[in-house]
Amino acid sequence: MHDAMANDSSVSASARDFAKKRRVNRSAKLKQCKLDARREQWLSQVKGKSCKVTPMASPPTSSSPPVPMPRPQSCLHDSDMVFANHSPTSNSPGKPPKVGCCPNNSVSSGGSTRSCSLSASDGEEEGARGEENSAIDDWETIADALSAYKSRVPPAPVNDSGAQRTMNPEPTRTIPRAWRPDDELRPQSLPNLYKQQSFPANMERHFGAKGWSHPVILSAPSSCPICYEDLDPTDSSFLPCSCGFRLCLFCHKRILEADGRCPGCRKQYSPVEGEMLGMSGVKPLLPFQLSRSYSMGSRS
Amino acid sequence: MQASRARLFKEYKEVQREKSADPDIQLVCDESNIFKWTALIKGPSETPYEGGVFQLAFAIPEQYPLLPPQVRFLTKIFHPNVHFKTGEICLDILKNAWSPAWTLQSVCRAIIALMAHPEPDSPLNCDSGNLLRSGDLRGYRSMARMYTRLAATPKKR
Repeated sequence: MHDAMANDSSVSASARDFAKKRRVNRSAKLKQCKLDARREQWLSQVKGKSCKVTPMASPPTSSSPPVPMPRPQSCLHDSDMVFANHSPTSNSPGKPPKVGCCPNNSVSSGGSTRSCSLSASDGEEEGARGEENSAIDDWETIADALSAYKSRVPPAPVNDSGAQRTMNPEPTRTIPRAWRPDDELRPQSLPNLYKQQSFPANMERHFGAKGWSHPVILSAPSSCPICYEDLDPTDSSFLPCSCGFRLCLFCHKRILEADGRCPGCRKQYSPVEGEMLGMSGVKPLLPFQLSRSYSMGSRS
Repeated sequence: MQASRARLFKEYKEVQREKSADPDIQLVCDESNIFKWTALIKGPSETPYEGGVFQLAFAIPEQYPLLPPQVRFLTKIFHPNVHFKTGEICLDILKNAWSPAWTLQSVCRAIIALMAHPEPDSPLNCDSGNLLRSGDLRGYRSMARMYTRLAATPKKR
């Protein structure tokens, strides 16, 4: 949890931090507690999304001055991330600059390191960390913004994944870092990535479907398993049973005149198929009689 | 009639072509009647029938393969699902579970499987079935092994 959060926050923070960190004041430790609680709630809801979102936030954020980064704790990163994302939107102008996420970085072990490395500004942020923003108010607004963000988020994830691949050396998708480097790109890239990803996926589906159908065709026997005669094209396209057992029309007719059971699955051929063959009239009677006679024979 | 004959002829060619495919089964068609077949099957390993060679007689109906072949043991065998005197075999795929997709070769395989996994709850040989049902596995194996040696061991034949 913390790490992920930290990462997210760090990512988003990095972008924003430049502007924000210095601005932010830290009075907020007390507030932090409240914030933390909120964050947790929020995070619990958003977590999955947040990670993806965070990266996105950074680009916009950078422009927006006052993203509040109140938390002193690195743990907060996630929330920070979120905030940062939102912050641009929600708080930015009115609120005093918050301390960058940087402070968080210092606090957070894993996440912080990443954030630092990622963001050039981290060093600056660290200074900010100490300050730790008091921007609790901002946080609330941010939280709201975040909630709003969540709704947006879903599409972002796709892009993020793509972006991360490119951007991040690290494989993990969870982290928004991918976006950090090219936050600006993110929004644009998102749609593109989306298309790209969706496209291949579709391709795969088609391919898969083809692959599936192909095997069936290929699997079709060249000769009837009942009479061992070669199947002509008509027979090859004849699929009398849902189990996929194929046989020639001649043998199928004979079986319908006998017990009417598919040799592959031993279930009765459906009457529909019999009708299709034009045997509907005959079939109902024959199977019954035959089955009886058959059973008689079997007893002996 | 013609269909069954054609099919049996195909099976015959198949058997000739893959004689070595299954070393435990040797299918032979009667020289004068394609509806009469005999088969030699080896008793499955790790059973009381191991080391025995059992002869099967196939009587194939004209409606074959819509109707199953009639198969019986010519070699005496002590098995819950084989009649001790007539050699009749109680096997679902030779009765109502028959499918035209089966072949004489697959019937032989099924019979070998039956030898390895007797079904004492539908016995044709009540003595054998009762031994198994009463849990006297040792008695069953002892009897089956004895008859395998008496009737199915190649030397004796």
